[in-house]
Amino acid sequence: MAHADASDPTLGTGRGALGAVDRIAHRIEKATALISGYGIFALMLVGVAHVLGRKFFGLPIFGYIDIVEIMMTFLVFLGLAYTDRLGGHIRMELFVSFLRGRWLPAFELVGVVLGLAIVAVLFVYSWDHAMRAYTLGDSTIDAQIPLWPSKMVIPVSLGLLFIRLLVSLWAYVRLLLDPSKTPVAVPDIIDPEQQALREAAAAGALDDERADKVATHGSVR
Amino acid sequence: MPFELSRDAIGILGCVALLLFVLAGVRVYIAAAIVGLVGIVAIIGWKAGAGMVGTIPHSKSVNYTLSVLPLFILIGYLAYHAGMTQTLFEACKRWLGWMPGGLAVSTIFAVAGFSAVSGASTAAAAVFARVAIPEMLKAGYDRRLAAGVVAAGATLDSLIPPSAIMVVYAIIVEASIGKLLVAGFIPGFISAICYSIIVVIWSTWNPNVGRPIRGFTWGERFASLPGTFPVVGVILIIFASMLFGWATPTEAGALGAFVVYISALLNRMKWSELNSALLETAKLTVMIFAIIWGILIFVRFLGFAGVPERFSEWVVSLPVPRIVIMLGILFVYLVLGCFMDAIGMLLLTLPVFYPAVIKLGYDPIWFGIIVVKMCGVCLLTPPIGLSCFVVGAVRRDIPLADVFRGAMPFVIADFMAIGIFLAWPWTVTWLPDQLMN
Repeated sequence: MAHADASDPTLGTGRGALGAVDRIAHRIEKATALISGYGIFALMLVGVAHVLGRKFFGLPIFGYIDIVEIMMTFLVFLGLAYTDRLGGHIRMELFVSFLRGRWLPAFELVGVVLGLAIVAVLFVYSWDHAMRAYTLGDSTIDAQIPLWPSKMVIPVSLGLLFIRLLVSLWAYVRLLLDPSKTPVAVPDIIDPEQQALREAAAAGALDDERADKVATHGSVR
Repeated sequence: MPFELSRDAIGILGCVALLLFVLAGVRVYIAAAIVGLVGIVAIIGWKAGAGMVGTIPHSKSVNYTLSVLPLFILIGYLAYHAGMTQTLFEACKRWLGWMPGGLAVSTIFAVAGFSAVSGASTAAAAVFARVAIPEMLKAGYDRRLAAGVVAAGATLDSLIPPSAIMVVYAIIVEASIGKLLVAGFIPGFISAICYSIIVVIWSTWNPNVGRPIRGFTWGERFASLPGTFPVVGVILIIFASMLFGWATPTEAGALGAFVVYISALLNRMKWSELNSALLETAKLTVMIFAIIWGILIFVRFLGFAGVPERFSEWVVSLPVPRIVIMLGILFVYLVLGCFMDAIGMLLLTLPVFYPAVIKLGYDPIWFGIIVVKMCGVCLLTPPIGLSCFVVGAVRRDIPLADVFRGAMPFVIADFMAIGIFLAWPWTVTWLPDQLMN
């Protein structure tokens, strides 16, 4: 698994209670991301079967569009917390990367608190949305597939993201109180050069020795 | 309430708040969603506002047409393992090596071919930095030319389908995904020609920069073609199916991904490599969808506040020709691109810019191509031109400053290409209009 965690070298190395919580949460997150990943793989297989079936046997997959739409929430929401832990969500790091000492965790906390607020609101309403589909017995038009499991994925994903943000809250408050501590359970801020290295490693374009170095130290120097 | 804010004031406050949060490093999807929520609630109240916002992530993501995006991303992450790069480069070398700077010209067209099986520029830059640069250096090419041509060539990836960034544009402005993807082919080709012109001029001016590679027989040339069949296959599948309406973009994406997957298996992709490719695919998919629904919450707020209408009224009333406004918008992208990721930049600006551009009478597909091209330029300009950083990361022996310097002439080529699209818009719109009623 030379390239497996090239995108995050510091994962699972944190010490203490926070490190342990981070590891447990991340194990769940990684499992959900794998479900998304294999779901996308399945989306490919379903599409191929549908097209070939239609073209050569006159047998398209019944309810293909319904199936794809049902799958979508699994593909695009489940990995929310995983992506957050790896620092994968887009943000502008230009100014943050200049911050030192207490300033950095203070700014990070702004984002975490805003995140907790919006995720909480979205959680409540998406939960209601899913429960409504469950009690009414909503299903898709063509294939009559029940809709609630697909809708339930959203509050579940947001719930995991909420937990992840709570862990980040803990991690950044800890750093705010004592900036000299080693950061635990948060993605490190990386400059474009480091980001480029990780992307190159993710594309598989570094030789194995250097990819391993990126995977273990986050840098080749 | 002790005082009431006008809608205009709420709209402007919202835009300022979003800008401040983004500058402060808040993740863009969170910043956009929370500002959108607060803004909508301020205008229509908590109950109706929060209820509406709560349904947006689901209603805006669960849509058959959007399912093309994860598949395009999957193609990109599998492409490296399919090992097509070496064969593509070899074929281009045998056919185009005789030109001045022949290996660099070959690199451009090999990357363009690879772009057809990949949706992310950084992957193309990483892969070709490893395949093409060593060969150019061995042939005595100037390292600035070698590094610059790879960094620049990789930006073709966003124009040539399958392109993730193009799908994102289509989603945000609600344009036809298929039409936009088809529209990318000719501009991608024109851009490759512009790059080649730069290479030829550069190496004719100073022949030591890059010498022609001659001496291939026609037999050798034709012998190099079978290795490129998987790439040609994917191009044909995606292009033909969308052009003639044989398959939806999602179906074409599935077929394309499958061809690349089979090539990767034949190339002995390991199980662990598939696993990490799928994890990366999931991560990028989630990231793009999060920012899409986050921004769409903000867009709904802007709509309530009437910001896009006001902005386009103002833009249309400006006493200058529309081309001046277009150049102004391109300039804004050029500057923003120096500080922001391309997808973030697009999503933050389009909700306000796009209605104005349409009101000025520009074509939605044409503007999409222009904007995507600008995103490509941003990958080359310092201080955060990611394409250059990726080349520098793979090739430690070439100083980063040389990569950026080597890429500069190609930025000029990009301006040439954009000039062509501005002067003759039909170069962009002809193909999608002709073949897709």
